[in-house]
Amino acid sequence: MELVISLNNKNRLYDYHDMGIHYYIIGTIYSFYTPHIFDIDEIKDMVLSYPDCHFYVSMNALYEQDEIDVIESYIEELSHISISGLLFQDFGILQIVKDKGYTFDMMYAPETLNTNTQSLNTLSHLGITSAFLSHVIPLEEQLQIKQETSIPLMMFAHGVEYMAASKRKLISNYKKASQKDFNDENLMIQDRTSKKKMHIFENDRNTLIFSEERLYTLDLFNQIRDMDYLYIETLFMDDYEAVEIASLYSDALNSPLYDRDVKALLALLYQMNKPLSRGFLFDNTVYKLEDVRKMDNEKRESNH
Amino acid sequence: MRNVSQIIDGKRKIIKKPELLAPAGNLEKLKIAIIYGADAVFIGGKEFSLRSQASNFTLEDIKEAVEFANQYNAKIHVTCNIILHQDNLKGIEEYLQALDDIGVSAIIVADPYIMMLAKKMNLKLEVHVSTQLSTLNSKAIKFYHDMGMERVVLGREVTYENLKSILNETDMDIEYFIHGAMCIHYSGRCMLSNYLVRRDANRGGCSQSCRWYYDLYENDTLLTNENDMPFTMSSKDMALVNHIGELIELGVDSFKIEGRMKSLHYIATVVSTYRKLIDAYCEDPDHFVKDESYMNELIKAANRALCHGFFYNNPGINEQLYNIRDEHPTQEFVMRVIDYDEKNHMATIEQRNYFKVGDKIEIFSPNHSNLFFAVKKIYNEDKEEVDVANHPMEILYIECDQTVETNDMGRKVIR
Repeated sequence: MELVISLNNKNRLYDYHDMGIHYYIIGTIYSFYTPHIFDIDEIKDMVLSYPDCHFYVSMNALYEQDEIDVIESYIEELSHISISGLLFQDFGILQIVKDKGYTFDMMYAPETLNTNTQSLNTLSHLGITSAFLSHVIPLEEQLQIKQETSIPLMMFAHGVEYMAASKRKLISNYKKASQKDFNDENLMIQDRTSKKKMHIFENDRNTLIFSEERLYTLDLFNQIRDMDYLYIETLFMDDYEAVEIASLYSDALNSPLYDRDVKALLALLYQMNKPLSRGFLFDNTVYKLEDVRKMDNEKRESNH
Repeated sequence: MRNVSQIIDGKRKIIKKPELLAPAGNLEKLKIAIIYGADAVFIGGKEFSLRSQASNFTLEDIKEAVEFANQYNAKIHVTCNIILHQDNLKGIEEYLQALDDIGVSAIIVADPYIMMLAKKMNLKLEVHVSTQLSTLNSKAIKFYHDMGMERVVLGREVTYENLKSILNETDMDIEYFIHGAMCIHYSGRCMLSNYLVRRDANRGGCSQSCRWYYDLYENDTLLTNENDMPFTMSSKDMALVNHIGELIELGVDSFKIEGRMKSLHYIATVVSTYRKLIDAYCEDPDHFVKDESYMNELIKAANRALCHGFFYNNPGINEQLYNIRDEHPTQEFVMRVIDYDEKNHMATIEQRNYFKVGDKIEIFSPNHSNLFFAVKKIYNEDKEEVDVANHPMEILYIECDQTVETNDMGRKVIR
């Protein structure tokens, strides 16, 4: 099992490397979202400076027709650098790579869609070579998929969770409509019923919403050890938090006495005083009308 | 450019008329959609379909739907567009086989496993790629084409200019949304409902959390105080009624109307309006004059204010719903015509909402122009005169001097 981190700062690569982390997700202007945008020269530098590391470029947006030529050229540029692969969710990206015969590891990462064994096995015959499991499904299902799927799988291990993305400029539009003046940095929305808070921000492509809480799996290594990759999302982390988290997970992974050390590692995680959650790991969602009604009734009863 | 027209008897006519694809949540709505002019209707089955709160069709219902559609040379598409989880994997093959045996024309699918399974099974039905996959470009379309898919339903984010470019790049059947509610986020990529209320949007449980009001914070400071406009992401509904000619000229294969949860009145109104508009344009595209009547008709059934969605570009504040709900009061749907006795000028109707003697009624129909009359007399089934119609689905008789037809609909003019 390898730790994979979304790289938030080129200068921290040394630290991560020193911890034994060799897999990095690199954001660019073409990424759906990223903690940092790297240009092509920076990517080249990193690849040359760390030849024992694996760099995956995040080409995981949904692309408009009028962007396709530019995207095609960019992927061609990437093909001249020794990156390991692309993270993608738009099958247009896979098609470009197939048409050109590039040999990237094509990691399918559609946030919400990798939720069963059969679909991943089907896609493995269509050009995807690895996949990022959706974090919207329980741990038990993720483990079952791992057992029954033929390609390497990445599991979301730590960080804020993706909730939604819109092509609309939801913050800019609201600002205009409300005539309010506020800073676009560090915005959060809170649902008035559940009181859950979520990060919201606009980038050049979309408006994105992420959970405030960080999903964590630091104490679940005995269960998730068979996963091929464990992903750490550093979005909304400062340098200190990102390095500390990477260090905790690296220690957990490399500890010969994990069961003994995990308590101490968890204590260090709690000391960071960031909101934590289990996401959907131990919680099923419902969708059938009768189940929705039952859940609503249970909620009502528990409120009385 | 796709060739859509031809000179016939010295006049240019559209020879590639797009399919008008309507939604239906039950058999009654399906039949009305077809009677009012839909070329095809998309419905959900009890399994593997989104919109768990629509009535949804049993296999028996689907069989009846196909038999009814066949009489009108219409097609039935069945949505099988949930994103499968491990516990949804059983029974798909049997279900697809049953749909094929029934004679369904197409299934609308989001999960690659169902796509490939349907192809492997060598079914007669077509496999259409659902909008849940948010397909926005021709490279992705080529991917689905190479998988053997017959049609792609584009994401609602595709602008006119991008649509034009896509259609130049592909021969594949393209379905494009022309009317209805819009997801605020990329379809299939939204977990708000999952996160906030544990209802799985990608398996039909969407709670429409994107339409809720939220408080907005900058760091820990609340920006939306009690009297302020709450933060919302909600959007007006899409209506491309003013762009139908442009879309026909591009050669779009299918025009999709959203709304399996919508009412009978909504479906009849929207389908009828687009049917008449498409036919009028195709008959004489070079002399077609845009007028407001089509939009005015749609507004009568609108649940929300209407906009052009992403047609020109990214929606701005005029395409979103802020503060006030900005929702249109619908004209009230009050009756469906069952029969008309020309000799006695008496219409047999099925009551749908309260109306009374003196109310002004607008009758609309798939076959004739709208008619207006004031209700003079109402009789119940025992032929007793009554002043009000206040029992849902009651069979009543009303005097009507103008000829109406079976399946015409009546709405109360409320302003």
